Amino acid sequence: MILVNKDTKILVQGATGKMGASHTKRMLAYGSKLVAGVTPGKGGDTVHGLPVFDTVNEAVEKTGATCSVIFVPPYLALDAGCEAIDAGLDLVVLITEGIPPQDTAKLVAQAKAKGVKLVGPNCPGVITPSETLIGILPGVIFKSGPVGMISRSGTLTYEIALVLSDAGHGQSTCVGVGGDPIKGMGYPELLRAFNDDPATEVIVLIGEIGGTAEEEAAAFIKEHVKKPVVAYIAGQTAPPGKRMGHAGAIISGGKGTAETKMKALTDAGASVATTPNEVVEMVSKARAQLARK
Amino acid sequence: MNLYEYEAKSIFAQFGITLPPGARITKPEELRKIHFGFPLTLKCQVLSGGRGKAGGIKFAKDLKEGEELAKNLLELTIGGSKTESLLVEPKVSIARELYLAVTLDRTHGCPIFIGSAEGGIEIESSENVVTLPIPYPFHPYVARDLAKKLGLKGSLLLKVADVATKLYRAFEALDLDLAEINPLVVTTGEDVLALDGKITVNDDALGRQELFKGWQSKHLVDLSDRECRSTMMGLNLVELDGDIGILCNGAGLTMATMDMVKKFGGQPATFLDVGGGSDQEKTLFALEIVNENPNVKVILLNILGGITACDDVAGALVNFMKKNPETKLVVRLRGNNQDVAEKMLAQSGLKLIPDLQSAVKEAVQQSKTPVGAKA
Repeated sequence: MILVNKDTKILVQGATGKMGASHTKRMLAYGSKLVAGVTPGKGGDTVHGLPVFDTVNEAVEKTGATCSVIFVPPYLALDAGCEAIDAGLDLVVLITEGIPPQDTAKLVAQAKAKGVKLVGPNCPGVITPSETLIGILPGVIFKSGPVGMISRSGTLTYEIALVLSDAGHGQSTCVGVGGDPIKGMGYPELLRAFNDDPATEVIVLIGEIGGTAEEEAAAFIKEHVKKPVVAYIAGQTAPPGKRMGHAGAIISGGKGTAETKMKALTDAGASVATTPNEVVEMVSKARAQLARK
Repeated sequence: MNLYEYEAKSIFAQFGITLPPGARITKPEELRKIHFGFPLTLKCQVLSGGRGKAGGIKFAKDLKEGEELAKNLLELTIGGSKTESLLVEPKVSIARELYLAVTLDRTHGCPIFIGSAEGGIEIESSENVVTLPIPYPFHPYVARDLAKKLGLKGSLLLKVADVATKLYRAFEALDLDLAEINPLVVTTGEDVLALDGKITVNDDALGRQELFKGWQSKHLVDLSDRECRSTMMGLNLVELDGDIGILCNGAGLTMATMDMVKKFGGQPATFLDVGGGSDQEKTLFALEIVNENPNVKVILLNILGGITACDDVAGALVNFMKKNPETKLVVRLRGNNQDVAEKMLAQSGLKLIPDLQSAVKEAVQQSKTPVGAKA
């Protein structure tokens, strides 16, 4: 597993909002070690039994939290994210969708300067099945096992985890990096982490059209990744010039097509699937080969 | 949101970037009131690219020619976008042209300057392009670095760096995705002018930019009526050429479903991402708008619930089927409150398909069954 485990102490920024509160409840039910909520002006309240603090600094001081999951509205996310980064947390998971990308760029710069890991924005979060769930992923779909997943999508991650789990391929950790063009952690750092993780046998990379992140991932795989990688790219039949749901999912000026990404990944030695069910077949094959060694 | 050239230029002016004199006209006779003399440049105001090649820019030597050209230009449609008005400017005597832009770069994860010592070009296909990441917070030295990299010297280096600085200030203050001056011209009198420009405003920032309040609906001209209405409802609809209406939650899953439909021999008619946490009202709107498309023979609804509650979706489906009993529906629904949803839909005679691949194959098959026949 990477990034998080059952001992990760988590605080929730925006825990008293509608979305924050409902997911706080779900994360608690999953067994995630939530220790605090943070909502400015609501210090002293509780949410689903968690103490609420006015500031992240106070929450960290009182509870020893090392990770924050953020549910605040888009225009407050830069402020909330900087508050988490400056409080010296190790990991910040930013769920919020619709953050103006220049705010995200400032947040990414701040995280880099302080050496804090930032996941998201516009992401479903991180799950280490049977240990901890940080974000909005539906826990019941994920099973514990040896497949590490990295994805730009939310529900497509659930879809692929579902067919993998059904076929007996549980997951070590799944990280949703988010669907925005500007974001925190990307493929290379997570590929490295999974490659070094003893609990991960096979890595599944779920990309989509737009940008060149998958091409960069391919270059990284070729150079550094020893474990089998199965990749899937969504938007193989997407028309150019149209934004396909995610802010980052657009083929512009002939760049960012699924075709070039799939070719780069194939050339780097990854198995490239064209449907979620093919991902399962390829993972099965990779695991069978590993078992024979 | 893409802006018209005249709107981009009014923003440049607000930030102190020098422009040629200009006037916007919507009728040919308005040319008579223009305070600068001939020859003139007449430019169609459209939101699509490729204006020059499509004949949307003309030069007039006198009023008679000007009025004739203006009449024709105002009726021109370029790349599906109707001419909104004309921007009229005096012909400028150009010593050299440059290219200057600020945009967000995905790879660097920050804004960048893009510059070229040749202007009026297709920047994607140009060889002589300089890019420079802009650290946050911005300081004007970055603009001078850019001017230096473009090979400029002396007073011209300072003038171009000053324009680049102002362009960045506009980019940051107004939440732009792109601020581009192409060409930035140096006149024979050594003035530096923004001759043409393009601005794209970030859609997610529209809610906090006072200047752009109420602008969105006027700037959706490259979308179909249904795509516009979906955008205003906060849904992302892309219309395609096929006959299977695809409606899903989440962008990645919607794309994957579309890809699978094609792989198994079907043709998608719509890509509609209803997003996470959709309520009944939104889901019903989504179903209706897909159904409005006359090409749609079957609707494939694929919801994998994380945030989305299946019983809400089922409620919308029950309502939809009451109003549209003839519409063929293939439904894959899985997630929270799935059992409640199954019961609700069983009462309406709709059977859920639990796995995606089977649902896709079923939808493809139904799209090939003649209309009116029972599947």
